[in-house]
Amino acid sequence: MNIFFRELKAHRRSLILWSVAILFMIASAIGKYSAYAESGQSMNELLSQIPKSLKAVLGMGDFDLTKVSGFYGMFYLYIVLMAAIHASMLGANIISKEERDKTAEFLMVKPVSRSKIITAKLLASLFNIIVFNLVTLLLSIALLEKYSNGEDITGEIFLLMVAMFFLQLMFLTIGTGIAAVSKQPKATASVAMALLLVSFILSSAINMYRDLKFLKYITPFQYFEAEKLLNQGGIEPLFLFLSFGIIAVFVSVTYGFYKKRDLSV
Amino acid sequence: MNVIEMKNLSKYYGKSRGIIDVSFNVEEGEIFGFIGPNGAGKSTTIRTLLSLIYPTSGSATIFGMDCIKSAPEIAKEIGYLPSEVFYYDKMKVLDLLKYSASFYQKDCRKRIMELAEIMDLDLKKRIDDLSFGNKKKVGIVQCLLHEPKLIILDEPTSGLDPLMQQKFFELLLEENRKGATILLSSHVLSEVQRLCSRVAIIKEGKIIRLEKMSNLNEDSYKKFKLELKEAIDKGYFTLSGISNLEIKDKTISFLFKGNLNMILKKISNVDIFNLWIEEPSLEEIFMHYYEKEVERR
Repeated sequence: MNIFFRELKAHRRSLILWSVAILFMIASAIGKYSAYAESGQSMNELLSQIPKSLKAVLGMGDFDLTKVSGFYGMFYLYIVLMAAIHASMLGANIISKEERDKTAEFLMVKPVSRSKIITAKLLASLFNIIVFNLVTLLLSIALLEKYSNGEDITGEIFLLMVAMFFLQLMFLTIGTGIAAVSKQPKATASVAMALLLVSFILSSAINMYRDLKFLKYITPFQYFEAEKLLNQGGIEPLFLFLSFGIIAVFVSVTYGFYKKRDLSV
Repeated sequence: MNVIEMKNLSKYYGKSRGIIDVSFNVEEGEIFGFIGPNGAGKSTTIRTLLSLIYPTSGSATIFGMDCIKSAPEIAKEIGYLPSEVFYYDKMKVLDLLKYSASFYQKDCRKRIMELAEIMDLDLKKRIDDLSFGNKKKVGIVQCLLHEPKLIILDEPTSGLDPLMQQKFFELLLEENRKGATILLSSHVLSEVQRLCSRVAIIKEGKIIRLEKMSNLNEDSYKKFKLELKEAIDKGYFTLSGISNLEIKDKTISFLFKGNLNMILKKISNVDIFNLWIEEPSLEEIFMHYYEKEVERR
């Protein structure tokens, strides 16, 4: 438990900063929406001129941007990207920082097994991503309510946040997995980030070129798209299973490799 | 009883050598010295014992338990001071020490205060505001606060001023009197000479000698220095038993191990102006272990 609380304390500042970032993100989205809403239908007409592929890249899809739910659906892509960046950085750093900052020779000679250290760190990261998720949920509900014009979107926001939680879990465990395998503690965060960006770009490419659709199983960003979630009735079981699979694999990679390898001290 | 037992411990990093076939035991209650130049494999050996890294082959036990399988169990009774101390920069010294203590099922508060007092350590400062020497002090307190049965020190005195070194050594001797076993690695021979009862000498990953300190000290090495009235043939003193031979004009110095009568007869055959015979320091004894080839002039 002492490691768990230590990690919570160590990540407190960063969690606060991320929360502020979410606040700004959602607030600026709403600022833009109110401008759209005022201009009325003309904005939708203008937007319909934008080529479909560009819309796909921007995450606009087929949303009705005059409605706050549609607007939020478009913005969800960026919120999810932030959540994924947070989760994968957190996962990669929480494991590799002991080696990177050379505190491994302190922590790893204490009377705790490496597995227990991993467990404490995973739980602390889980706590962090849950807080991230709840902050996003509450801010979204609180800030969007004013513009909803009687449209009840709380249910939709809940659904989107549940989906986001799975994405966070996937990127968190991918991060810890990379850190557990890698013998270069300084490189793990960049590797995790590169992997994330590649899957994000791939996801955009899939949305642009329908021919690439068969690749949708390999990038988590395709699993829970707002458009599908909101317009096609919730989370697809297949992708839910895939998410659980990815999480399970990377959790076992994290434990398995970290126990067996030499620490870089 | 042996506290540490190593059997043919080898560690390779890929193809490069870490340590090769290291085997030695550390007995309960002794202060054991582990000497060798930088890069010889001292830290690798210690890190293997602490299962921070795993051996390529061979095995080691501490307190009779396998050092990999029972690492967490063993760690309860180990205090470790790494050669370079790094802690969580943003923590205060006291918080770090409390965090360290929280891993042991003991109340260490009193001991932390005592040790901080002895080492003159400011507990309120943040880790990243500390100088190198002060970080080392944190390391020392951190290493001793749970009163471990086995203390492992890797190059402990670097960064400490002589006064602190002295206090630290007194602390160690006190812990030793109370029953702690100590493994001390160093490349500074004089500190090993002062503290240790036995030593292992490591060079290029291999243990080249395992000896009681008293034997090493008495190891009939004598240091000779002579001043001659006139220069002699350079080959005159190249004979078995003589090492570290240095000839500077009319001044000759060397280490000698062997029959003293023989060397004295040899000296009496030349015309000498002055003569010193001294106990060599360990540094001088070990010079020829360290150097790959004794330089001859």
